Amino acid sequence: MFKTKILLPLVILMSLVLIVLSACTSTSPTTTSPVATKTSPVSSPTLAANQVLVVNLAGEPATIDPNKASWAGERSVITQVFEGLLGFNQDLTLKAETAVEIPTVQNGGISADGLTYTFKLRPEVTWSDGKKVTAKDYVYSIKRMLSPEVASEYASFYYAIVGAEEYNGAADKDEATRARLRDAVGVRAVNDTTLEIKLVQPLPTFLQLMALWPVYPVREDIITAQGDKWTEPPNYIGNGPFILKEWVHQDHMTFVPNPNYWGTKPKLTTLTYKMITDANAAFAAYKNNELHITAPPVGTEKATMADPVLSKEIVRYPELTTFAFQFNVTKPPFDNVKVRQAFSCAIDREAFVNNVRNGVGKPAYSWIPPGMPGHDPELGKEYAFNPTKAKQLLAEAGYSDVSKLPEIKFQFSDTAGNRTIAQFLQGQIKDNLGINITLEPMESKAFTQLVNAGNHTWAWFGWGADYPDPDNWLPQLFGTKAGNNHTLYSNPKFDALAKQALSELDNTKRLQLWAEAQKLVMADAPIVTMFYRERFVLVKPSVKGLKTTGMDGQISGDMFFKEVYIAP
Amino acid sequence: MTKYIARRILWLLLVIFVVAFITFLLMHLVPGGPWDREKQLAPQVVENLNKKYGLDQPFLVQFGKYIWGLLHGDLGVSYIYQDRGVTSIILEGLPKTATLGLVAFLLAIFIGIPFGMAAALRQNSLVDYSSVIFSTIFASIPAFVLGILLMIVFSVFLHVLPTGGWGGISYIIMPAFALAAIPAAYISRITRASMLEVIRQDYVRTARAKGLGERIVLIRHILRNALIPVLTITGPELATLISGSFIIESIFSIPGIGRLFVQGVFQRDYGLIMGSILFYAFAIAIVNLVVDILYAAVDPRIRYD
Amino acid sequence: MEATATQISARPHHTLWGDAYIRLRRNRLAIAGAVIIVLIIIGAVIIPYVSPYTFDKQDITAILEGPSREHWLGTDSLGRDVFTRLLYGARTSLAVGIFTQIIILLIGIPIGAVAGSLGGKTDNLLMRFVDVMYAFPDILLIILLRAILGGSIFNIFLAIGLVSWVNVARLIRGQVLSLKQRDFVTAARAMGGSSGYRIMRHLIPNSLGPIIVLVTFSIPRAIFAEAALSYIGIGVKPPTPSWGTMIRDGYDVIFAAPHLVIFPAIAIAILMLSFTFLGDGLRDALDPRLRK
Repeated sequence: MFKTKILLPLVILMSLVLIVLSACTSTSPTTTSPVATKTSPVSSPTLAANQVLVVNLAGEPATIDPNKASWAGERSVITQVFEGLLGFNQDLTLKAETAVEIPTVQNGGISADGLTYTFKLRPEVTWSDGKKVTAKDYVYSIKRMLSPEVASEYASFYYAIVGAEEYNGAADKDEATRARLRDAVGVRAVNDTTLEIKLVQPLPTFLQLMALWPVYPVREDIITAQGDKWTEPPNYIGNGPFILKEWVHQDHMTFVPNPNYWGTKPKLTTLTYKMITDANAAFAAYKNNELHITAPPVGTEKATMADPVLSKEIVRYPELTTFAFQFNVTKPPFDNVKVRQAFSCAIDREAFVNNVRNGVGKPAYSWIPPGMPGHDPELGKEYAFNPTKAKQLLAEAGYSDVSKLPEIKFQFSDTAGNRTIAQFLQGQIKDNLGINITLEPMESKAFTQLVNAGNHTWAWFGWGADYPDPDNWLPQLFGTKAGNNHTLYSNPKFDALAKQALSELDNTKRLQLWAEAQKLVMADAPIVTMFYRERFVLVKPSVKGLKTTGMDGQISGDMFFKEVYIAP
Repeated sequence: MTKYIARRILWLLLVIFVVAFITFLLMHLVPGGPWDREKQLAPQVVENLNKKYGLDQPFLVQFGKYIWGLLHGDLGVSYIYQDRGVTSIILEGLPKTATLGLVAFLLAIFIGIPFGMAAALRQNSLVDYSSVIFSTIFASIPAFVLGILLMIVFSVFLHVLPTGGWGGISYIIMPAFALAAIPAAYISRITRASMLEVIRQDYVRTARAKGLGERIVLIRHILRNALIPVLTITGPELATLISGSFIIESIFSIPGIGRLFVQGVFQRDYGLIMGSILFYAFAIAIVNLVVDILYAAVDPRIRYD
Repeated sequence: MEATATQISARPHHTLWGDAYIRLRRNRLAIAGAVIIVLIIIGAVIIPYVSPYTFDKQDITAILEGPSREHWLGTDSLGRDVFTRLLYGARTSLAVGIFTQIIILLIGIPIGAVAGSLGGKTDNLLMRFVDVMYAFPDILLIILLRAILGGSIFNIFLAIGLVSWVNVARLIRGQVLSLKQRDFVTAARAMGGSSGYRIMRHLIPNSLGPIIVLVTFSIPRAIFAEAALSYIGIGVKPPTPSWGTMIRDGYDVIFAAPHLVIFPAIAIAILMLSFTFLGDGLRDALDPRLRK
């Protein structure tokens, strides 16, 4: 009697489990779905009747005000509704968007001393309500971005502009002083179609900064009238290929083509951003044909590549992001360069990328990622995985007996991906060096604070490009006392090289200087680079014209959604 | 009784004030602040931001300003969602979370109580054992796993329900069930346990011996006494359900307020944290008051002296 | 005549607890529950000596594999043996499950009983304190605790216990409120029993039913709370496993390897079921009305 009363429910449970297991491993064809799934005939761009693209923004954007925005998701919205003077091609070279041409010394756009930039605007560019975009709109936008009240997170990037830093630092000054400083900022509209910007000192990467969203034009009249509400439709007026028609907070955003767009109009009739935060839910939505693009949950890539249907829908491309371990070079035992090099040799990056990460990503032996000018594929190989060399280096550092080492803690911000990496690292150090490190998972902000204060021993971090140049990758991280230098690394030779490179107008010489600087850093090993991240997404076969870049926002291909169309 | 209620409402205001103060204090004591980023912001930018949001002022001044705003119905600003005030954020999300919570609550009591009663009345039968086993299973599966399982079965496998979002009954079914599972299991077991306690009492035997019909015995004697513990736990469960579940709202992309608190904590958005806490504190205090009143209604022997 | 009278009156004398023990022994389900719990404990203790794998041995050539002859319950995302980790994880989960309950009961029962039986101002004050605790931002408190005290495992018991006792308190209070007007309580008071005696001997044993249910339900809740807390560094540190963290880690790859979620969930269900039967048996055994 006892047995049957327990067995029966157990059997029911088992059958439920079996049903679920079988459901997980099979994908079934769709019947009722908002997303077309038939593949199209190859060559000619025949359009399906339903030109609706549905993608996942993975969360509600904090702000879509171009002057204030900083997160990838926000960028995904802004690049649809606004367009700047300059932009990036798919290969990350600069192109002229609302400017007629890229300013150069030859065409007079850049003065010979590199201090004055003149942009000629296309006269046909209009806002979505029909009004013309003029140089005044850019002036207003740049000054607003630099204003202390707006407190834009990217303001410091533009301190090269005359008067920018002073104006941005005027938070506690009175009205009159602030107005005066504002007028003194070196940006002015020569006429409706000419914009002039003056710099404090030459900055060879300034054009790249002008391709970023904080300097997209915005409408002074709307912002003055609506205040913070201007980012809600229908006030959210831009000059880009799409209009934000509807924003249901925390739920979705709907874009439609801008009828007054000056360029080639998008073929899509509707672009929808959903806000699914859970990776598994997004994957389920994709399988239920509610999304056209999604990333499979991290760790399931192998299963995805083995799936007969999904494996054909994979799109992979490298991202300009490097992940590395950063030491605190002031804390023993990491104050000894040989110890740092030893640790670098003790980690099998290949195994991590190929086995743990299913081959998604590339092992990294140097800091600047492939696709970025300055990437050196040969650099750093002398500290590749080599357990014998690792032990040797450790012995040379004076630690042939590993029990003499002080306790080593590894701190990381506790997320699923980080936990895997941390435990992998722990295993590697134990197996290859015989050292037991202590893992310290930390709550995200507590971790950030720890690292920013320089109190960590050894921590995990990632760095993604704001713009594709070593300017953005080396000085803030490795310069003495630089803003993002949490390794506390300091090398006067590096600082000298950086100073030179930041103002060197000859691009070849400049990149050479950065290459030297990077070599210094890799030799001193304040960080152990681990891997370059790769985007691994699924795209429904009906989606055509998708152009992915290493600097995509939150959604793959979002820099070129205006060229996407749905095949029948 | 009215005096009692009036006194409780005064206490409620005091409770809210205390909760606000403690939360405010904790928020500022916790390591890490809203502007700490992996890509550290320039010091001038941080200074500007602190000034903009008044974070450079002394603690009590900040707290005072917050309470002043609260008394005027203004819950402050959000650092995450910089262009919308906390009041409007909560007002927008509240109806959705509350609807979902209410549906889940109704599911939980209309499944839980009958099952619990049936199990108690037929103790040691198949009904009893299967209700025990099922309630255990549902309590051992965390809500997010249950949610995903439902999604896999009904969306991915059967294609009959959307995976998430908001807009009609088909969007509520799965999250409501996922939310209701554990409370239903819990309520059914408490009901069963409590009824078993009561069934064995002498006065029940007396009532039966008196020849009263089973239904009258059930309703007038057993249920009224058994309901006390059920009420005790159902109240807070309702408050919890209404203030939303972070996990379920994340998985099913419900545009409600359940996600706000955890988001706020992890990003140190003081406005969101305070708003969510105060709302929850208010809900709990009201619910506990209602439960206490219902105790007296259900069991005439209970007095509040 | 005298012989039968003596026989009838010479009932063997048992104390409440002795009698309870005898009745418990006869309840087969309760015994089964207790046996399973003991088996889990034994398994958790001997697993390091019995398994060919350690709980942290990574094998990156065998990642996310299903059950097989080498790995009875499969492997996880770093190639570690799930069976070994499951039994090793029982240590943490059992400890968390049991010790937090003890803290909860030690704090909650007295507070609730006192509030209910004394009534009036004491009740009001204590219950308003409970209201504050309910709304208490436990995540914040826990992050703060972690920053101040560090992340040892004992802080987990404390942290979870300190924010969870309120349900027990309210439950007991509710029971006491309804019981205190009853005849046997009046009788006890008339007999000269102090309030403490009344609480311990009469009110609490009669409230046990719902309390036991709450305790059994709190066990998986505590296990999941521990998993959530380990995410912010309180409690066991990786790579030490616990059932809650195994489920949460497994959730991320549920589409590729559902076994990582299913097996720990089954383990939790079995544990909870065992405590349920044991708890029910205890309640039946201690029920004074079922005494022979």
